[in-house]
Amino acid sequence: MVRLENLTKSFRGRLALGGLSLDIAPGEIFGLLGHNGAGKSTTFGMMLGHIHPDAGEAFIAGHSVQRERAKAISRVGAIFETPAFYDYMSGWENLRFLVSLSGLESDGRLMDAVRLVRLEKRIHDPVRAYSHGMRQRLALAQALLPDPAFILLDEPTEGLDPEGIQEMREMIRHLRDERGLTVMLSSHLLAEVEQLCDRVAILHQGRMVFCGSWKSGEPPWQFDIDDWAKAGPVFAQAGALVGPGNLVTLPPGSDAADVVAALVRSGVRVRGVAVVRKTLEDFYMERVGQ
Amino acid sequence: MRLFFRQLSGELRKLFARKRTFLGFGAFLAFEVVVLFLLRLEKVQGSIRRVIENAGYDAAGYLSGPTLGFLIVVWTVFLLEALFLALVAGDVVSKEVEDGSMRMMLCRPVSRGRILLLKGTVSVIYTFALTLFVAVTALAAGFANSGPGGLFVFAPLEGVFAFHDFVPGLLRYLAMVPLLALSLCTITAIAFCLSCFNMKPSTATIITLSVLFADTILKNIPYFESLRGWFITMKMTAWVRIFEYRIPWEAMVEDYMWLTAINATLFIVGWQMFEQRDFKS
Repeated sequence: MVRLENLTKSFRGRLALGGLSLDIAPGEIFGLLGHNGAGKSTTFGMMLGHIHPDAGEAFIAGHSVQRERAKAISRVGAIFETPAFYDYMSGWENLRFLVSLSGLESDGRLMDAVRLVRLEKRIHDPVRAYSHGMRQRLALAQALLPDPAFILLDEPTEGLDPEGIQEMREMIRHLRDERGLTVMLSSHLLAEVEQLCDRVAILHQGRMVFCGSWKSGEPPWQFDIDDWAKAGPVFAQAGALVGPGNLVTLPPGSDAADVVAALVRSGVRVRGVAVVRKTLEDFYMERVGQ
Repeated sequence: MRLFFRQLSGELRKLFARKRTFLGFGAFLAFEVVVLFLLRLEKVQGSIRRVIENAGYDAAGYLSGPTLGFLIVVWTVFLLEALFLALVAGDVVSKEVEDGSMRMMLCRPVSRGRILLLKGTVSVIYTFALTLFVAVTALAAGFANSGPGGLFVFAPLEGVFAFHDFVPGLLRYLAMVPLLALSLCTITAIAFCLSCFNMKPSTATIITLSVLFADTILKNIPYFESLRGWFITMKMTAWVRIFEYRIPWEAMVEDYMWLTAINATLFIVGWQMFEQRDFKS
């Protein structure tokens, strides 16, 4: 669905993004992570044709954004961190104006999008009377109006209350599961990304330091035992690796219960066993070296 | 083409739904009333009466609605409309970039050139609408104050000194409206062009007004007298010539062709600048 090839951009000699290449499969929810100024918004900007890359190209649905922008983004929806609408116009008027730029004319489709984001009661109110959450929902409605196959969400939950965050999360899942949309999102809320994304890319100072599933590989186990010397041969026999902090990585397909039984048989007292699941935050911090 | 008009109507709604647009029209009305009030002062009326009578005409017949309308238009355009057009056209692109709504527009499969064409067209329509409003309300104020009568036009710098009877005068007054608007389009074009650059809306407005002031000042310096006809503000006064007894069509067409060429060049420069820009958050 999306292919970025060596996207590079500098602003006034400062590297904003260096040689970013990645692929996003149809139906995937892909997260773009990074600190402020890491290059996330620059990436989104180049994918929408807002920013001209110094080198490289972005392809959406097989079309180059840089060479055939209109075709490439004809079925792309986007939301920015702070969606800017015309405050003195109603939500409906804003939507009508924006969809007219896409060449769409159907009020019925407009209303479908408004209903989907549950804004039908307030859609004729001026946008200046909207709360931040309502603006985000209106932004989502406009993003859904080209009948997108791919949607870009730049900090979609920024400034939302916990209910709004949950609502947005459910909406994103719904879009992928029910409509088959491909989603690319950036967020500072790593827990949010953790719950939603299939894969992530981590940007650090304009460079991609990781791309893939951060959940890949077997999670290590924490064994609370009395004698590590006695336990060593048991772990070795089970094919387990003992790493720093006495974290034990078991071979794929092996059962921790069998290892515990073997430890007990060899006279090791086992006080507790727990799988250690790294959070995305741990993973992120490791990758950006902080 | 149908889509273009639909998009254009959206742009027009955006512009005319703004409170500032309405306030602007209201401000013009208020300003015209002030000018009318000044024109009613005995000292002012006396000097106009003297000029008319010195030319051998009956002051009562020419100190009329159309004459007052013309004077109100001249003062309003000179003092307020130029400023207001620079303000609106200076805003038209840069304010949307500043607010972030331009990025929303550019998320749509529409070219930057088309967006600028829409905004440029809206700016021109606005220039014509505002000029029509100023001219009609000024004439209405003139009629309300002095009733119908002949039209007296005195524009020394442009060399126009003319008296017209009521109907021919009125027709020339009406013909003045599109010509004046066309002249004012150059102010709109300068501000619009600057608005496409990476600058704040207020900067675009200030630079536009500075260009016009500098042009006006230089034009009036005796050293540049031989070049006076080439100054933009001089070309922009072509509309006044519609009041000459024998309308110099050739000269007017030439001036308007120059202005159109300047406007087109400014649009192209703005467009190229807009095409090359990066739009960041």
